[in-house]
Amino acid sequence: MAGITIKGLSKHYGARDADVAAVSDLDLDIKDNQFVTLLGPSGCGKTTTLRLIAGYIRPDRGTIHVDSRLVSSPDTVVPPDARHMGMVFQNYAVWPHKTVFENVVFGLKIRKVAASEARRKVEETLALVNLTGLAERYPGELSGGQQQRVALARSLVVEPEILLLDEPLSNLDAKLRERMRTELKVLQRRTGITFVYVTHDQSEALALSDMVAVIHGGRLQQYGTPFEVYSHPANRLVADFMGLVNLVPGTVIDAANGVGTVQAAAWRLKLPMPDGAVPGEAIEVAIRPENIRLAPANRRSGLVPATISDRTFLGSVSEYYAMLESGHVLRVQTHPLQRFAVGDTVAVEVDASQCSVFRRAPADATPVPPADGAAK
Amino acid sequence: MATLTMPAPARAGLRRSPRLRLEQVIMAAAVVSLIVLVVLPLLFLLVGSVRGEQGLSLEHFAEVLSGRLYISALQNSLILGAWTGLFSLVIGLLLAWAVSRTDVPGKALIKITATLSYLSPPFLTAIAFVYLFSPNAGVINVALRDVAGMPWLAFNIFSMTGLVLVTVLHTFPFVFLLASSALQSVDASYEEAAQILGASKLRTAVSITMPLVAPAVLSGTLLAFVNAIALFGSQAIIGLPGRVVTLPTRIYALFDYPPEYGLASALSLVFVIITVAALYLQRAFLARRSYVTLAGKGARPQLMELGALRWVLFGFAALVFLISIIAPYSTLLAVSFSKSWGLDFWKNLTLANYKFILFEYNVTQRAILNSLMLAIFAASIAVLLGAVIGWIDLRTRAPGRKLLDYASLIPLGLPGIVMAVALIQFWLAMPLALYGTLMILLLAYVGRYIPLGVRSANASLRQVDPSLEESAQILGASWTTTMREVTLPLIRPGLFAGWLLVFVPVIQELSASILLFSSSSITLAVAVFNLYETGYTEPVAALAMVNMAIIGVAIWLAYKVGGGGIATRGGREGAVA
Repeated sequence: MAGITIKGLSKHYGARDADVAAVSDLDLDIKDNQFVTLLGPSGCGKTTTLRLIAGYIRPDRGTIHVDSRLVSSPDTVVPPDARHMGMVFQNYAVWPHKTVFENVVFGLKIRKVAASEARRKVEETLALVNLTGLAERYPGELSGGQQQRVALARSLVVEPEILLLDEPLSNLDAKLRERMRTELKVLQRRTGITFVYVTHDQSEALALSDMVAVIHGGRLQQYGTPFEVYSHPANRLVADFMGLVNLVPGTVIDAANGVGTVQAAAWRLKLPMPDGAVPGEAIEVAIRPENIRLAPANRRSGLVPATISDRTFLGSVSEYYAMLESGHVLRVQTHPLQRFAVGDTVAVEVDASQCSVFRRAPADATPVPPADGAAK
Repeated sequence: MATLTMPAPARAGLRRSPRLRLEQVIMAAAVVSLIVLVVLPLLFLLVGSVRGEQGLSLEHFAEVLSGRLYISALQNSLILGAWTGLFSLVIGLLLAWAVSRTDVPGKALIKITATLSYLSPPFLTAIAFVYLFSPNAGVINVALRDVAGMPWLAFNIFSMTGLVLVTVLHTFPFVFLLASSALQSVDASYEEAAQILGASKLRTAVSITMPLVAPAVLSGTLLAFVNAIALFGSQAIIGLPGRVVTLPTRIYALFDYPPEYGLASALSLVFVIITVAALYLQRAFLARRSYVTLAGKGARPQLMELGALRWVLFGFAALVFLISIIAPYSTLLAVSFSKSWGLDFWKNLTLANYKFILFEYNVTQRAILNSLMLAIFAASIAVLLGAVIGWIDLRTRAPGRKLLDYASLIPLGLPGIVMAVALIQFWLAMPLALYGTLMILLLAYVGRYIPLGVRSANASLRQVDPSLEESAQILGASWTTTMREVTLPLIRPGLFAGWLLVFVPVIQELSASILLFSSSSITLAVAVFNLYETGYTEPVAALAMVNMAIIGVAIWLAYKVGGGGIATRGGREGAVA
């Protein structure tokens, strides 16, 4: 088993001067035996990163080490066939002209495993992915989920140190996707293989990963546990990508030792402060809809009044749009049994411990592109 | 691959395996072959056209653009191309519409007619029509004159009209194939959307369907034009006796002793310009076609109910079938079994002609063997080269790979006889004595049909997602293993179709062979042509039937092994005959 260390990795496509960076200056430390997700909207560079790890492409700058072995640098790239990795592709890439057995046994043949041993291993692996009895079928006779499992079995049978997965569930329907998600997680725990998993689906990333690397515009935005990335996003891009978020503009009142007070809309909140924030600076407060509470209006202190402007019943939650007196509209998710009518005046309460503060764009070192619409 | 500038120790422990070299050697060989086959001969053609008595000169161009002989050849070629294009458009579009959008009976017959017409060697059709309509001895003319007493109905095949008739029979399938595939891929919902908005059927056809298929139809018409003007065989067999001299036959005449290389090269280039201009337009039209194919599988065209009119349409289709298939083939068959061709040929049937060409006359025996051998080799080489070039284009980031792809398409713009002129110039200047050998014919064939090899390989490779190769690679498979286990098995049907796509035209190749053959390297088509020119009426027909039998077996193999599709592919690619 193996860990992966990525340092200063960059890859440009097209002409150098055009400067279309697919990946720029990426640092990532993937520990042995972890399930790590590369998460980002399409075109963010996550697949390029995966293909760099696999050795299909040569980096322009930076290095990739597997354990202490250098496998990729601008000068040398260990070819994919010598990396002891496995890869599962978005379209499965199950060879249509080979049976399930022939697909799975391929890697063992390359490794010159004796036929009887190979047969045993293939059968074991097929059992592992719940494909027992389908060995003689051709991929054309299998469903999408079954083909996906063939692809998994084909990668697992050779016992790779690292398994790379490129959006492996995106072609499956919602129900099947959820089931395969669980199976993947179990499989990773059971085999102890390091999984590097690419997806644009944040819920998939949260559900599966030990660590999530949020990538946007070819840059690593945040690397942390699913909980950290969701509840303490490093910047507004991450906050926006990891789910629904309200961004309320505000001003820093005071800041010291990483905490401070901000004035946002009608709230005065005590919050952790980003480095270098000074009093008077314009900031944004990110509040997730589920961290806002609505109460019937009775003007208790600390509660801010608002008017319900729209509501949507979503089954497990109700969603309300609440307009503050400052004119800002907040998206709020409540328990479905808590009901308000459009036009009602309500009191809005915010859980300060679950809010984040971001400095406004000009102060940011890197100009941040607008969040991708495909994000949610 | 980027160059490795790091000193050796820095790479210690990394694999620099020798298979990368094999891969590179194979690719380099393909690139060199393409240069030798196509690029260099073309350069020598250019040089030859501007080389005068003393250094550079445009005298050859001045002459071919002012001399009466050349101007009239140019005019005749354009007239032939224009009429052929027009009739191909009318026949091809009508039949395509009938097949894809109406309830006309006998759709299978129409499709078979188009496929067979496309695959029939045009010079054999020409010879068959001479047997029927030559002014004095053509049996139909004889019958009209001597039996029916209606000499005014007699038709002289040796005329521009005759030439257009014979050529259209070969070229209308280009329009048919492109138009019918376009008509079938227009999603019915486009038309239904117009109708629900209140447009009548006619209005829908004119304002929705026609604009959508027009690019494909025009593109087919241009292919018909380009192919029509390049056919040496029918233009020599029908045009020359009627004093209708065209570009290919004029270029051919320039090789009578003493050969006029300069003039031939200049005239060839004029020819190339016309062809390339037409093909450029064709590509431009075809490129606009993309929005039709986007509809994809959802297409379910509406069929128009024609009522009694459908029998009229069927009659027309049957007439086309009669003229393009039944008439020429039954004529050739009848002649081949006759002792002496004439109205009462059936009184003296014989197998002597077959015995003569197969067992007695060593020229025809040699020709059959030569052609079979050449076709097998040419098809194999063209397809393998095509596979490598296609792979380089689609799977590597090698600099200049697009250029390679374009270079492999050049021969589409070179009529056969022009290819021959170019090869002669190039190989006469080389220290190798290839002129008159089978080798130069092989080079000509591979060069001419390399676009078909590349296109087939390209089309098949596009169907194979790169991840199928990548997943073999990450499991530890080397390049050769990946090719052997994954890529080649997956593109095999496409390559086989490509192989036949080259084999069939090579067996009947005449336009280039006619300038390149020698008595020892004579080919089937040249033997047919020579026998015909020397007046061996009946054995010619027998040899023609042998020719057809070989093609028939090849096509039968195509349907059996490759699962058909040869005709559609051929129509789309449209090699210049």
